Amino acid sequence: MPHETEAALSRRGFLIATGSTLAATALRPAAGDAQTPAPPPVPGKEKLIVRSSRPLNLEARVTDLTTYHTPESAFFVRNNYDAAPVDPAQWSMRIEGEVDNPVVLRLDDLRKLPALTQDVTLECAGNGRAFHQPRASGIQWEHGAVGTQRFTGVRLADVLALAKLRPAARHVAFDGVDKPPTPQAPDFIRSVPLWKALAPHTMLAFEMAGRPIPHLHGGPVRAIVPGFVGSASIKWLERVMALTEEFNGFYMKSNYTAPRADNDKEVYSLQSLEVKSVIVNPAEGARLAAGKVTAWGWAWAGEGELTGVDVSTDGGKTWTTATLVGPSDRYAWRQWEHAWDAAAGSHTLMARATDSLGRMQPASRAFNRLGYRWNVIHAVKVDVA
Amino acid sequence: MWRSLALAAALGTAVAAHAQQEVEVPKTPGWELIMRCVICHSVEIAVQQRFGPQGWSETLDRMIKYGAPIPPEDKAQLMAYLLRHYRDPAGR
Repeated sequence: MPHETEAALSRRGFLIATGSTLAATALRPAAGDAQTPAPPPVPGKEKLIVRSSRPLNLEARVTDLTTYHTPESAFFVRNNYDAAPVDPAQWSMRIEGEVDNPVVLRLDDLRKLPALTQDVTLECAGNGRAFHQPRASGIQWEHGAVGTQRFTGVRLADVLALAKLRPAARHVAFDGVDKPPTPQAPDFIRSVPLWKALAPHTMLAFEMAGRPIPHLHGGPVRAIVPGFVGSASIKWLERVMALTEEFNGFYMKSNYTAPRADNDKEVYSLQSLEVKSVIVNPAEGARLAAGKVTAWGWAWAGEGELTGVDVSTDGGKTWTTATLVGPSDRYAWRQWEHAWDAAAGSHTLMARATDSLGRMQPASRAFNRLGYRWNVIHAVKVDVA
Repeated sequence: MWRSLALAAALGTAVAAHAQQEVEVPKTPGWELIMRCVICHSVEIAVQQRFGPQGWSETLDRMIKYGAPIPPEDKAQLMAYLLRHYRDPAGR
């Protein structure tokens, strides 16, 4: 944990008083029972559901996830803490810890390294938390804290090579400029094991969709850790630390953890995303005309490779193999579709993905206190007339 | 401790001076204590949670550890308020 200084405190006070995304809240009493408040939309993000305005947390409606690359307007935002915008010209990042050559790098330094562009699906570890029973602790995400972007940047391995990693290094931690609102609250720092840090797809990205990464999505520079839960891909990077152990902080040891399969008294820090699929069309509650309907959606598998998607149109009694279509990128979602001859009546459609690790989406998920790992088969009910 | 209270007071001023958004909470005894929560985060973070007594108590204890200015006598009242409106009967 970084030590606190009066300067840091004063900087936080300043940020909170002036940050444009840090909208303050005036409480107004309401009559009657608890209601879900509806905070105002965020400019450029009007399509998204505001789960929290401070820190900012926005998710898409699944029916707005209609394209392989998610438009910025429909791309979710997950902030543990907000951050003030960082001027790219002023930005720098330290590489420190278990290295022989600690370095400070600026954007120009990164641009001298070989560039990498790849399509990556990012999903919040808590996506689907709202479906846990009883209610799990945290932002109540439904289906839409997921999206796919084209990121450009450099390999983290190349950056670590500049700093000359020591043999003792086993984990690499990322820290962004976002800081908690009080000195006692834990800084948002997460680490990944060395094998993942050195993997050729793990990157420090400075472009999204061919343009500088927007502030809300972590620019000027963010980590992109494909296949891992979204929280590994720390935004607004200012520090990369090589460590001998997994980072010992709240966001590794307490939050972003789930009970171990072999001993549920102990927890592990989440790494890979689950195997998962969503139905984009038809929408929940849709009224359809009888005849041909193309059911379709997305499927992804984190560290696994997607091997297939099965579709049921009778509530899970029978399953048919869906067709995988469109781009196929190792760490991005894949589109699936199924030609359904819809007869009059009420129907429940389901999609179920499988992957190369032998995983299949389950029909249920054991409750876990923090509401992670929700990849239960997505079902939509429709009426056909 | 003094530092955290001073910080909270400074932030409270910022909140009051920059109020831009209104949300509704039920006006039953203890509702004003929600202002202690919104010093650091918007009210939606709190009111989308549903816990039982243990869950709310642990959550408030964690927030107090992080510097939320909630002395013991106010914690009890805030607990009662949260359990009245934001309780999951099946939750801890």
